[in-house]
Amino acid sequence: MSDIYDLVKRYPWLPSLKTYYSDIALKNPLDFISEIFSSNKSEELESRVLNLFNDAFNKIEHLSEYELDEINIYVYLILRILLYIINDKILSNRIANIYSKTTYNELNKENEYNLYYIYQDLNLKVIYEEQPFVYKKFVVKEQKEIFKTNFKISFLDYLKLASNLKDEYRKLVNNALLQGYVYIKPENINRLLQEHVRKKLLIQNNEVSSDFEKFKERLFEIHEFKKLYTTITKIWESKKEEFEYSIDITFKEGKDYSGILPPCIKEILSKAQEGQNLVHTERLFILWFLNSLKYPEDKIINVFSTLPDFDREKTAYQVKYAMKKGYTPYSCKSLKSYNLCFANEYKDPICLEGYYSRMQDEQKFISHPLKYIEVKEYRDSKKLKKTKNQSQDQK
Amino acid sequence: MKSFEYLKRRFKEYYKDNKEKIPLVSLFDQREFGFIPWDQQIRMIRHMGFATRDNLIKHLINNGPRHVYSSGSLYLNPENKDMKNKSYLGCDIIIDIDVDHFYTPCKEDHDIWYCKECGKNGKGMVEKCPNCKKSKLKKLNWICEKCLNVAKKEIIKLIYDFLIPDFNIDIEKMKIAFSGHRGYHLKIEDNDLRTLSSDERREIIDYITGEGISYEILGLRKMGDNIFGFSRETIGWSQKINRKIEEILKKTNIEIETLLSDKRTFNLNKNFIENLLNYKNNFLNIIESDNMNNWTLVNSNLNTWYKFLGAIVEEIGIEVDVPVAIDIHRLIRYPGSLHGKTGFKVQELNPNDLDDFNPLDEQTEKLDPIVFVSKVQTIQKLEIIESDVPATKIKGETFGPYKLGDKIEIPHHIAVFLLCKGVAKSI
Repeated sequence: MSDIYDLVKRYPWLPSLKTYYSDIALKNPLDFISEIFSSNKSEELESRVLNLFNDAFNKIEHLSEYELDEINIYVYLILRILLYIINDKILSNRIANIYSKTTYNELNKENEYNLYYIYQDLNLKVIYEEQPFVYKKFVVKEQKEIFKTNFKISFLDYLKLASNLKDEYRKLVNNALLQGYVYIKPENINRLLQEHVRKKLLIQNNEVSSDFEKFKERLFEIHEFKKLYTTITKIWESKKEEFEYSIDITFKEGKDYSGILPPCIKEILSKAQEGQNLVHTERLFILWFLNSLKYPEDKIINVFSTLPDFDREKTAYQVKYAMKKGYTPYSCKSLKSYNLCFANEYKDPICLEGYYSRMQDEQKFISHPLKYIEVKEYRDSKKLKKTKNQSQDQK
Repeated sequence: MKSFEYLKRRFKEYYKDNKEKIPLVSLFDQREFGFIPWDQQIRMIRHMGFATRDNLIKHLINNGPRHVYSSGSLYLNPENKDMKNKSYLGCDIIIDIDVDHFYTPCKEDHDIWYCKECGKNGKGMVEKCPNCKKSKLKKLNWICEKCLNVAKKEIIKLIYDFLIPDFNIDIEKMKIAFSGHRGYHLKIEDNDLRTLSSDERREIIDYITGEGISYEILGLRKMGDNIFGFSRETIGWSQKINRKIEEILKKTNIEIETLLSDKRTFNLNKNFIENLLNYKNNFLNIIESDNMNNWTLVNSNLNTWYKFLGAIVEEIGIEVDVPVAIDIHRLIRYPGSLHGKTGFKVQELNPNDLDDFNPLDEQTEKLDPIVFVSKVQTIQKLEIIESDVPATKIKGETFGPYKLGDKIEIPHHIAVFLLCKGVAKSI
C-alpha cells in the first residue's frame, strides 16, 4: 500500500489532507495564498495552474500533466479559490470536468489496497471481501459474461454519491442490492468519486456579497496571485465566445438549424455547453435527433465532448451504432414522460399553441420535435418571402 | 353543524378515557404537530410543538381534533412557522400504502362516483368520467376487509421482500400503523437514513416500486430472432423477476391464462399466452437453470416481452404513495389518535401482529382500532344524506346499503363511522 502522504498528494481532495497536511489545509485562504506565492514553489505552481486552465481552454479531454507531488496539493487548493472568485459557471464546469476525469483515470490505476484506503478515508462504508462475488451474469447462446467484484458499498453511501447522476445505469433499481450493500466494481465506485470531486470544485457563488468582494480585494493585494488571475481571465475572455458556441449544431449540408431548434433540444444543448452531466435519455435523444437531421458523426461526437464522463472512443462507437440503426428520436409524448419537455419553461408558442394546417382550417399540435423543425422552417421561409416581396414593392 | 359537534365531543371523550394509551413517539419534542379541527371548511393548523406527551394529551382532550398529525422530520424549533428557521435535523423514512392509489376488484362493489359534468354515475375506480371524459367527479370511497387486506399484504411484501432482504433494515426500527382508514404507514427510525435527501429517498422508492428499471441493463437481449432473458444469478430485480415468472409458471394452465389475459394487469394477447403454455415446462427449466436463458417464444417479439415484464414488475413492486415518501416535511397521523373520516384509531402494530390483524373485526382488544363499540349495545338513529351509501361490514355485521333519506337505527360505532364519512346526520 502507498504511504498515506503519497495518497493525499495524488488525491488532495481526500479528508486526510486536513490531518496529514494540516499546516496547509487548515490555513486561512488569504494566508495560504500569500505564503505560497512568496515561496520558492511559486513559479512551478503558477505554471501548473496555468497549464491546467490552458488544457481546459483548448478543450483537451484529460490534463496533460498531473504530477503526484506535494505541489499537486497546492494546485488543487488554489484551483478551488480561483474558481470561487472567477465565479463563471461554464469555466467552473469545464475545469471541474477535466480535473475530475483525470482523477478518475488516476483512481483506476490504483491497486485494491489503495482504493480501499481511499474509500475508508472518505468515510464510505465499503467492504472488501477476499473472495470475489458474482453479482451479475449474462448468458447469450454459448457465451457467458460474468461480473465479479470484491467490493460492496452501503446503499446509503451509494445513494449519496449516485443519486445526483440521474443515470439509469446508476439507478439503485438497476444495481445489485443485497443485505444493505450494492455489489460494485471499483471502477464504478471511482466514477462516483469522479462526480464527488467534480462537485467539490463547483463552488457556485450565486449572490456576490460585499464579503466576497472584500475577500477578492484582499487576494488581489497579493501581486503574483492577481497576475495569475488576470492572465487566466484574459484568456478566458477571448476564449469564452468560442466556448459558448463550441457545440456546433449549425451544420447540415450547408443548412443552419441553430435558430429553429425546439426547446427540448435547446435545453439539452445548453446543459452540455455548461459541461453539466446529461442523463441517459437526454444523451439518446440528442444523438437520435441530430442523426435524424443527418448531422456528421464528428459534429455529434463533439456535442458530448464537454460532458463530465466523455470518452471519445466509447462515444464514437455509440454514435456510429445509433447512426447505423437509424433510431427515431422521442416523440413529444415520450419527452413529457421523461421530463424532457421544456415547452412551458421556454414559453414556446409553436409547442404550446401548435400550428394551423396549410388550409388554415385546422389547429394541430406538435407531436414530434422533428415536426417542430418543419413548422418553424416553413414559417421562417414564409416570413422571408414576405419581407422580400415588401422590399420589391417598395422598389 | 350538529354532527360535527357530536363527533368532537365523542373524540374528546376518547382522548380523556385513553390518555394513558396514547403512545409517545420517539424524539417527541423535536417533531412538528398539526391538527385539523371540526370546521366546515377544512384547514390544517400546523407548526405546533409539544415539550411533553402530557401537553399533547391536554390539547387533544380540550380540542378533540378531527385529525392529528406529527412530522416525520425532526427540528430544533418544530413550532417555528418559517420552515427555514425550524432548523431541520433529519427525517424518518415514511412509506404510506393507501388503497386510494391502486386498483382492487372490490372497488367495483363499494366505490361510487358521480360526474358533476354530465350526471353519469357508477361504481369502481375511475379517474375520468367514462361518458364525457371530464374529471369533475364526486367520489365516495368505501372500505372493506378485502381492500384493507390488499393494503396489508403490500406492507408485508414491503418489509419481507424489500426492506429486510435488500436494504437490511432492522425490523426493530420499523414502526407500523394502521392508518385508521384505507391503509398502513411504515416509519423507519434510523439516524443514518434520516440524513437522506429527497432525491436519495426517491431512489429508494423507485427501487421498491420498480420505477426506472431497465431490462437491458438487467440483461434482456435480442440476438437475431432469439430473446435472452435474465440470469437467476444476477442480484437484485432480475432475480425477483425470475422468481415471479417461476411462481407464475408453476400455476395451472387455467390460472396462468386467467392471469395473463387480465385486462387490468398483463393484458397479453392469446398467441403469446398459448405459446407460453406450450413451452411452459421448457421455460420453467430455463428459468430454474444457471446456464440457460433463451426466452424465445414462437411469434413473440421484444415488445411483447416488455409488456409481460412490465406487468411482472407491477406485481412485484409495492404500491406506495410516492409524494409522501420523498417529502421531508410531511406530517403523518399520530399513533393512537382518531381518524376523522372513520372514527377509527390509528393503530400501532408489531410486524408479528400483521398477519392476523383485521382492522374491521380485530379480536385482540388492545389492537382493535374500532374504539366506539359500546359495552352495552346502544342504538343510534341517523338519516342518510347521500344518494347511495355502500354496505358496511364491521365486527362481522353488515349494515346497508342505504339510499338518500333512509332513516336507520344502528349501533354506536357504525353511527360514528357514517357520521365521520359525512353520509348521514343525527336525528
